[in-house]
Amino acid sequence: MDTQWPRFEVFKQDAPNQPYQNVGTVHASDGEMALLNARDVYGRRPNCHSLWVAPERAILKVTAEELGNAQIQQKIAEARMLASSELLQNYYVFQKVSQKRTMTFVNYVGGVQAASPRQALALALDRFSQAEVWVWWICPAEVVAASEPGVEDSWFAPALEKVYRQQSYYGKVTRKRRDERLQIAQQMSQPQAQTKNEVSK
Amino acid sequence: MIATLNTTQILNDWLLATADDQLILAHRDSEWTGHAPILEEDIALANIAQDELGHATLWYNLLMQLKSENEDYPDRLVYQREANQWRNVQLVELPKGDWAFTMLRQYFMDAYEHVLMSHLEKSQHQNIADIAAKIHREELYHYKHSSAWVKRLALGTDESYQRMQAALNQQWPYIGQLFALAPGEASLVEAGIIPDPAILQNDWQKLVLPLLSTGQLDLPEVSNRFSSRAEHSLHLNQLLNDLQKVFRLDPEADW
Amino acid sequence: MILESESRVNTQENNPEYSQRMAEFEARIARGEKIEAGDWMPEAYRKQLIRMISQHAHSEVVGMLPEGAWITHAPNLRRKMVLIAKVQDEAGHGQYLYHAAETLGVAREELVAALLEGRAKYSSIFNYPTLNWADVGMIGWLVDGAAIRNQTMLARCSYGPYSRAMVRICSEETFHHRQGKEMITHYAQGSQVQHDMAQDALNRWWWPTLMMLGPHDADSPNTGQLIRWGIKTKTNDEVRQEFIAETAPELIGCGLTIPDLELRFDSESGKWLHGPIDWEHFWQVVKGNGPMNKERLATRQKAHSEGQWVREAMVAYAEKEGKIADGYAMAAF
Repeated sequence: MDTQWPRFEVFKQDAPNQPYQNVGTVHASDGEMALLNARDVYGRRPNCHSLWVAPERAILKVTAEELGNAQIQQKIAEARMLASSELLQNYYVFQKVSQKRTMTFVNYVGGVQAASPRQALALALDRFSQAEVWVWWICPAEVVAASEPGVEDSWFAPALEKVYRQQSYYGKVTRKRRDERLQIAQQMSQPQAQTKNEVSK
Repeated sequence: MIATLNTTQILNDWLLATADDQLILAHRDSEWTGHAPILEEDIALANIAQDELGHATLWYNLLMQLKSENEDYPDRLVYQREANQWRNVQLVELPKGDWAFTMLRQYFMDAYEHVLMSHLEKSQHQNIADIAAKIHREELYHYKHSSAWVKRLALGTDESYQRMQAALNQQWPYIGQLFALAPGEASLVEAGIIPDPAILQNDWQKLVLPLLSTGQLDLPEVSNRFSSRAEHSLHLNQLLNDLQKVFRLDPEADW
Repeated sequence: MILESESRVNTQENNPEYSQRMAEFEARIARGEKIEAGDWMPEAYRKQLIRMISQHAHSEVVGMLPEGAWITHAPNLRRKMVLIAKVQDEAGHGQYLYHAAETLGVAREELVAALLEGRAKYSSIFNYPTLNWADVGMIGWLVDGAAIRNQTMLARCSYGPYSRAMVRICSEETFHHRQGKEMITHYAQGSQVQHDMAQDALNRWWWPTLMMLGPHDADSPNTGQLIRWGIKTKTNDEVRQEFIAETAPELIGCGLTIPDLELRFDSESGKWLHGPIDWEHFWQVVKGNGPMNKERLATRQKAHSEGQWVREAMVAYAEKEGKIADGYAMAAF
């Protein structure tokens, strides 16, 4: 079958002190192309300061509901017990903590060092638990490709000037007020009582 | 520094040519919207087209300012000129071809804009320097995008390599025109307004030749055939027919 | 990631565990919680969503074509820029929606194949031709205007990825609507050529837009379930009424005539009454006999097949460089 290229999850940081947030995915053939695609798909409107991309299949994703499952709990407990002599790697931890209307998904909350993704999840559950976490993502740091610091001026700043993508640019065309619309509607109380314009065939 | 409102016919012609290059290229790029090999590239190339259109508009607007023309001047320049009045290089008017052709042409023009803007940022003409700075930062992104594509297509499969080589064979004879000095432009070079095309070509080759070599592409043996930007192929006529078709339904109207 | 034991429960409707799961599932939705990929969901919900989301995605992708055809003819620099940005957004919206569908376990390759092989549906509004430049503005005003109403509703949908995609789409769609309204209002009051062009566009796009809002409520069997599952919040006729109430006075106000001789406003009910919709024609277009059905698909098939060597070359390069993303071990339980 045809290839649409693998998927990369995209994380966008809107401003220097904001968390990276998952905004969606791009399809790309490698990490460098994924960053370029992410910039075009998610960075063409403000505000974007930095991007991360990571291969979708490398990310361990689990929901709060799934964490309630006995089998999964057992696997996490087993992973927690993994010998610490195993090679430790860095993992990024992301969470969804709100049910509010939004266009972004999980947010970066911090990192852990672990011998496996499941162990990383176990450690994250210890370290980053808070009142209501709906979704957890665990992503190996080594698979993340980031936009280089310093490219903001060329990658992201130009979006600020493309004001024609904002509805306010077309400001002079506003909605008719309710009373104006009602007035016109009243004039249309009989069929065919439209303006002089002929309906052309 | 030259006072910004001073201008000469030669400078005006140079500005027009610079704008025309971007306009025609943007038009060709925009033809891919809805037809690209994958959705992400419909989005990417449309960004590039909008940027190039923006660059053209910046140059046309400067021309309007220097000639004290009305604000409809850029539209008039684009929608009312016949082919023999355009001053773009022929490379940009060629049909879009296949994806290899478009990516290679985009790469050549991105490399050209990149080195040109690097020099123009130091132009003795302040308006030009300002515009160049603005354009340059967008070109840095374009260059990254198109160079990534050219390299990958050259090194990908046999088929992509052959198509890239075919594109190179077709386009290489048109490159020289980018670095040709028009009559009178030597004065602009002397005044530090525009860079010496020989230096520009050297800078351009320093970028382009290594990439083509990495891609194991062979440079065709050709000599530059074109010098005057007033010369065009029939492709420009076809392009302008498309471009001006709706406008011509009512040239007096405000569209 | 669904455990094997889970996928059995999803389909066993007589299983007592199933009823309990279903009750919890519907309670979550009633509490306003989003269902995320990995959460339990009935198979019917998953299938319904894949169908809806992918049809929506296909519509955006095919929707690039009617307006995209006019990019090279845009009559001034500003309109040209705006139209490229609008069509680009349509590609972007398709991209976000394919992503949402992919979270439900279907690959984009499958979705693309379904569309190109004629097995998938997309909004039939895009099977009408764009015959003049003003069609671009009219589509923005009417079609995008109607779509925004649906999209605003869908942003409240219970499935997280679809809801989030819709919130993003809603934020981007507003300029589409505005630029169309601005163009048509300007032309309606412009030169005779422009006015006639705008009127001609309205004559051809008014009825298809009304039909796009879906069959009459009486003929929409899915609506009840979709409303219960938080996927729909208003019925088709309700949305259609709101659309006419907002748009008709504005079209008339700028001097255009709506091509419905029976259209009138009933002060007592406060409702707009319109002439009969030609559903026979609508179903013909849905079934594939519309004016542009074949051309639209053929255009997408051509782009796809001509792009095959490109997609393959990029994968070949990544494999040679050891960069192929699929080489990463899949993270799952």
